[in-house]
Amino acid sequence: MGLMQNQPDLPSEALVRILDVTRKLAAPFDLIGMLTEVVEAGKSMLGTERGRLWLYEPKSHELVLSVPMIDPQVRVSADAGLMGKSLSTRQILNIPDCYANPYFNRAVDQLMDYRTRCMLILPLIGYDDSPVGVMQLLNKNAGVFDAGDELIAAVLAAQCAVAMQRAQMTEALLIKERLDKEVSVAREIQLSTLPTTMPHVEGYDTFGMVRPTAQTGGDTFDLVMLGNHLFMLLGDATGHGFGPALSATQLQAMLRVAFRLGADLDEAFTQVNNQLAEDLPDDRFVTAFMGFLDAETHRVSYHAGGQAPILHFHAVRSESELLGPTGMPMGVFELEAAAGGKSIDLAPGDILGLISDGVYEYANLQGEHFGEAGVAEIIRLHHDLPMSALADRLLREAVKFAGDAPQHDDITIVLVRRLPGTSAMQNYFGRSFGALDDIFAFTRHFFEHAAVPSSIRGAIDLSVEELFINIVKYNSVSVGDILITLKVINNCIEVSLTDFDAERFDSTATPEADIHAPLDKRSPGGLGLHLVRRMVDSLDYEYSNRQSTITFRKIMGKPHV
Amino acid sequence: MFEIDFGNEGEVIVAGRLDAAQAERAQRFLDQMPTPRVLDMRRLEYISSAGLGVLLKTQKRLMASGGGLKLINVNHHISEVLRYSGFDKLFEVVAAEDRRPGH
Repeated sequence: MGLMQNQPDLPSEALVRILDVTRKLAAPFDLIGMLTEVVEAGKSMLGTERGRLWLYEPKSHELVLSVPMIDPQVRVSADAGLMGKSLSTRQILNIPDCYANPYFNRAVDQLMDYRTRCMLILPLIGYDDSPVGVMQLLNKNAGVFDAGDELIAAVLAAQCAVAMQRAQMTEALLIKERLDKEVSVAREIQLSTLPTTMPHVEGYDTFGMVRPTAQTGGDTFDLVMLGNHLFMLLGDATGHGFGPALSATQLQAMLRVAFRLGADLDEAFTQVNNQLAEDLPDDRFVTAFMGFLDAETHRVSYHAGGQAPILHFHAVRSESELLGPTGMPMGVFELEAAAGGKSIDLAPGDILGLISDGVYEYANLQGEHFGEAGVAEIIRLHHDLPMSALADRLLREAVKFAGDAPQHDDITIVLVRRLPGTSAMQNYFGRSFGALDDIFAFTRHFFEHAAVPSSIRGAIDLSVEELFINIVKYNSVSVGDILITLKVINNCIEVSLTDFDAERFDSTATPEADIHAPLDKRSPGGLGLHLVRRMVDSLDYEYSNRQSTITFRKIMGKPHV
Repeated sequence: MFEIDFGNEGEVIVAGRLDAAQAERAQRFLDQMPTPRVLDMRRLEYISSAGLGVLLKTQKRLMASGGGLKLINVNHHISEVLRYSGFDKLFEVVAAEDRRPGH
C-alpha cells in the first residue's frame, strides 16, 4: 500500500472501525451477502449517500454491477471510463464534480434516476494482484472526499478485495462440491449393483467385498450362480471420477446380460471387450478377471484381461501361486475372438483370490507397497478362517501396514475356497528314508484330527511306510516329491501315494515273501508288501497321465483277527 | 525317534519306532553284540518290515551258534506284525503283560 507513505496517519477511530469490518468480513459469506456488507461498510465509514459495487468478470473482461443488483444486468467494459482508469492504474480516484469530468459515464445515473455529485472510486485488487472489482462511494454527506477519506478507503478496499476473493473461491469450491456429489451418486450406483449376499455353493466358501475410496476408482466384482456354475468377476476401470465408475458398472451389467442370453465365457469376453473398445476413450481401459467355477469338477475356467496377479493358494503345500493375465486389458482394441482362456483346478482347501491393486499397492508413508508377499503371507497364515474373516484380516493387515497413509484406491477382495473334505489331508514328501519322521508326524496329525482308532494306526503307518519305501527304493527314475493323501470315507481310511511324472511302477505286483519257509530260507525281501496285504482291506494301483498312484483302504472298527 | 541300549540285566532295550530310517542303526548295534538273548520291546511302539529285517539277520547269526532272540513285552501292533510275517514261529515271543500271547 504505497499510498500510505505520503499520507497522514490513519485516525485511530477509523482503524478500529476497519478492524471491525474486517472481522465481520471474515465470517463465511455467500458472495452477494459479502458484497452488500462491503458497500455498507464503505458507506458508513466515509459517510456517503450511496455506494455501488462492480464485480470484475475475467471471462468477458467486464465489470458487472452487483450492488445494487439490477435486472437486466448492467455491464461496462473493464477498460472504460473512470473505473477502467482506476482499475488499470490500481489507484483510488477522487472526483469532486462528476458532471464536469469528461470520462464520467452518466448512463448509470440515468438508469437509476440519480445524480452523482462527487465520487470516490476504489479499485479492488486481490492478494495475487488480479482485479476483483470496483467500489464507488457516491455523494459524501458533507462536501467532497478529502485525503483522509482516501486513506481510509484504501485500507478498506484492500480488506474488502481479499475478503471478496475468498468468497469467490468458496463459491467455486461449492460448485465443485456439487460436482463431487454427482460423482458420488455415480459411485453409489456402481456400488449398489454389487452382490450383497454371497451365493451358496456346495463344498465352497465364497466372499466378495469392495471398500471404496471417497470418489476415485472403478472397481467392481460379481459372485453369482449362473446356471449351475459360479460366476466370478473382478473388474478395475482405469482413471478417476464418473468414467471409471460407469465403466465398471457397465462391465458387470453387460456380462450378466451376455450370460443370461446364453453366451459362453469366450464369446462374452470378446463381445464385452469390443463394446468397451467402442465406448471408451483411447486412454481408458478395464482390467478384468472373469471365470466360471464348476463345483463338481472343481475347475475354474477364466479370462484375465490385464488383471494380475490371480492368486491360487495351494492348501497341500500351504503356498500361494500368483498367476499372470491371460491377455490384454479389455477395451484396448477389438478382438476377432477371445484366445488364451485358462483354467485352474482347485484341490481341497485351495483358495482362488481375486484381489484388486488397491490391496497389493496399499502403500505406507515411505511409499512401500503391502505387496504380493504381504498378501500371500496373510493367506498362508489364515487360510482356514471363513473367507469373510480372511478378507477382513487382509484388509486390516494392509491398513496396519500403511500406518497413517490414506487409502488411495478402491479395494476389492473376492475369495473362493474349496472346503477341505470333512477329513482329508495331503502333503508332499521328499523321496528319502529321512522323510519318514515327517510322514509319521503327518499321519499322527491326521489320526488325531479324524479320530482314527489307535488300534489301526500302526497298520496304516506300516502300510504307508512300506509303500513309500518301495517307491523310494525301486522307482529311482523319478525325482519329484511323493504326494500322500489321507481321507476318511464313511467308515474307511483311504490312503493314496502319488508319484508324479513317473514311469509305471506297480509295487503291488512284486512277488510276496514265503512266510512259511524255515529261518535259513527267509529273507526280508517282499515282506513289506506281504504285511500291507494282510493289514489293509483293499489295495489298488493306477497309472495315467504319468501319475503313478497306489491306494489302500482300511476299515475302521473292524474286529481284529 | 528310536533308541536302542542295554538294560540292567544284559537285555537289549528298544524304544520308539523301528522304521526303515532307523534299521541301519539298530543293525549296527546288534551286530556288535556277541550273544544277545533278550530284546525288551516294552517301549517299542512300532516296527515295519525294515525292523523285521534287522531281527531276521540277527536271529540267523545267533542260531548259527546255537543261540536265539527272545522278544518280550510285545505290544498289539508288533505282535500282529510278527504273526502276519510268520516271525512268531522264528522267535520266542512274549506279549506285554496285559495281552494274551499272540497265538
